[in-house]
Amino acid sequence: MDSSALDLQPLHRGAEADLFLSQLPPWKVVVKRRVRKAYRHEQLDASIRKERTIKESSTIRDGKVAGARLPSILGLDIERSTIIMTFIDGLLARDTIDTMSNVRRVSLLEELGRQVGFLHSAGIMHGDLTTSNIILPADEKPFMIDFGMARKSTDHEDHGSDLHLLQRSLIATHVLDAASSLRRVAKGYREVVGEEMAKSSLRKAAEIARRGRYFAIR
Amino acid sequence: MLFLGIESTAHTFGASIIDDQGRIITNVNSTYRPPTGMGIHPRKAAEHHNEVSSGVIEKAFHGVGEEVSPDAVCYSAGPGLGPCLRIGATISRALALYLDKPLVPVHHGVAHLDLAMAAGRSHDPLAVLVSGGHTAIAVHLNKRWRIYGETEDITLGNLLDMFARKAALPSPGGVTVELKAKEGRTLLSLPYTVKGNDVAYSGLLTAAIRLLKEGRSLADICFSIQEVSFAMLAEAVERSLVQTRKKEVLLAGGVAANKRLREMIQLVAEDHGATFHPVPIEYSGDCGAQIACSGRLAFESGITVPVPESFVNPRWRLDEIEVPWIPRP
Repeated sequence: MDSSALDLQPLHRGAEADLFLSQLPPWKVVVKRRVRKAYRHEQLDASIRKERTIKESSTIRDGKVAGARLPSILGLDIERSTIIMTFIDGLLARDTIDTMSNVRRVSLLEELGRQVGFLHSAGIMHGDLTTSNIILPADEKPFMIDFGMARKSTDHEDHGSDLHLLQRSLIATHVLDAASSLRRVAKGYREVVGEEMAKSSLRKAAEIARRGRYFAIR
Repeated sequence: MLFLGIESTAHTFGASIIDDQGRIITNVNSTYRPPTGMGIHPRKAAEHHNEVSSGVIEKAFHGVGEEVSPDAVCYSAGPGLGPCLRIGATISRALALYLDKPLVPVHHGVAHLDLAMAAGRSHDPLAVLVSGGHTAIAVHLNKRWRIYGETEDITLGNLLDMFARKAALPSPGGVTVELKAKEGRTLLSLPYTVKGNDVAYSGLLTAAIRLLKEGRSLADICFSIQEVSFAMLAEAVERSLVQTRKKEVLLAGGVAANKRLREMIQLVAEDHGATFHPVPIEYSGDCGAQIACSGRLAFESGITVPVPESFVNPRWRLDEIEVPWIPRP
């Protein structure tokens, strides 16, 4: 679809893409546009933006089919490397997780585990799973966003890397107890993917943490 | 006070003397050049260093004046090729004992950053280190450089050198590939691999060698290698810059001499409101001055090693040592 006629309100500027708010009645939408990078050869730039736009939207669609709570893709404008998806109204988990009650936090961590489980059982790796990429609407049922780094993978290493990144983000950014928060995430994750797969993914996550290559600095 | 720096990690043997203000008084270097089509043979490089060492050091001393001798001896303790490191370390130990002056171990990668920061007046940058031994994006936190992104396999310097060898371009590979790339016009398809803030270059090298065997124009291949591999790094730098919100971007190491890479990283920095601090081209490659510069800062932070406990470490990560002198005032 042609996104050039949409009325765009700037929402956020990321490293790779600009996000805008817009209306596509009856929906309030987010317009994610991968912008031309001046440093990149024009031909290379065009092919990267096109490929990633298609990959991100198809991964989101596959994740939704698998049962994960994700925005809905409403349109693609490949010519402008733009994805149009439903706006998720809520707060970032990053900004709310420290102040919520213990009971609510426990149920949120378990639900996050389940959500990641849906992705992994469908062979999808999020690739950038931090509390900045999780939105909590009023009902506090979390949505995962930003699939710019996502890809198809059934490799335990990749699944472990998702869990490790989430854990690192919980510990590094928030004053949460590492062991108990990971236990909560693991509980929800196990419910969805089953004992065997959970064991391999969690073992990989612990192994990645031990490699000490990834520092908790965010 | 005067500081002597001895560089001896890979192809270059260097000696440099700087004063306690960090001013470079002498910087004498001699580089081993392998025959075209070959890489650095560690033993042959070490033999070269052995042969040139006394001449290089004499020249470095000579520029200071007859009666002057250094107050501390700084040496490159790693990472690098074992045989080369041991030559530099042995000479440095002997000098420290003979002159009865303290010995200061220096990390070669940290030294690249220290010299680049001093020369480029950078205080607390997002540091991009690109050389034969490193391809890393680092920020300083709690006394250490923290790796924010890095290569998952070979370095950018490896990529250029190894391709140059296969293409029978003379050493140094980075320089000859850059020269050849200037004649290239057509962008050939090569794998572009960015994983988060990390990059991987081995697939790109294999694909480039395949293009060579298929008989594609060498200029176009060189051009395409630069465009794709540098854009990958630029993207990782951009992601790291957005995450860390640093206000300076430092570019250091041998590959930092490449004009196209400088241009790309500068565009990324400026696009995000950060200032760009590339290392001056004459100080981008391995040299004694980087060891003297970093050794002076380490010495002033109280870092010395007694000769019997002195060491070399061929595998020494950039984030393994404390650098309490950063950020710079």
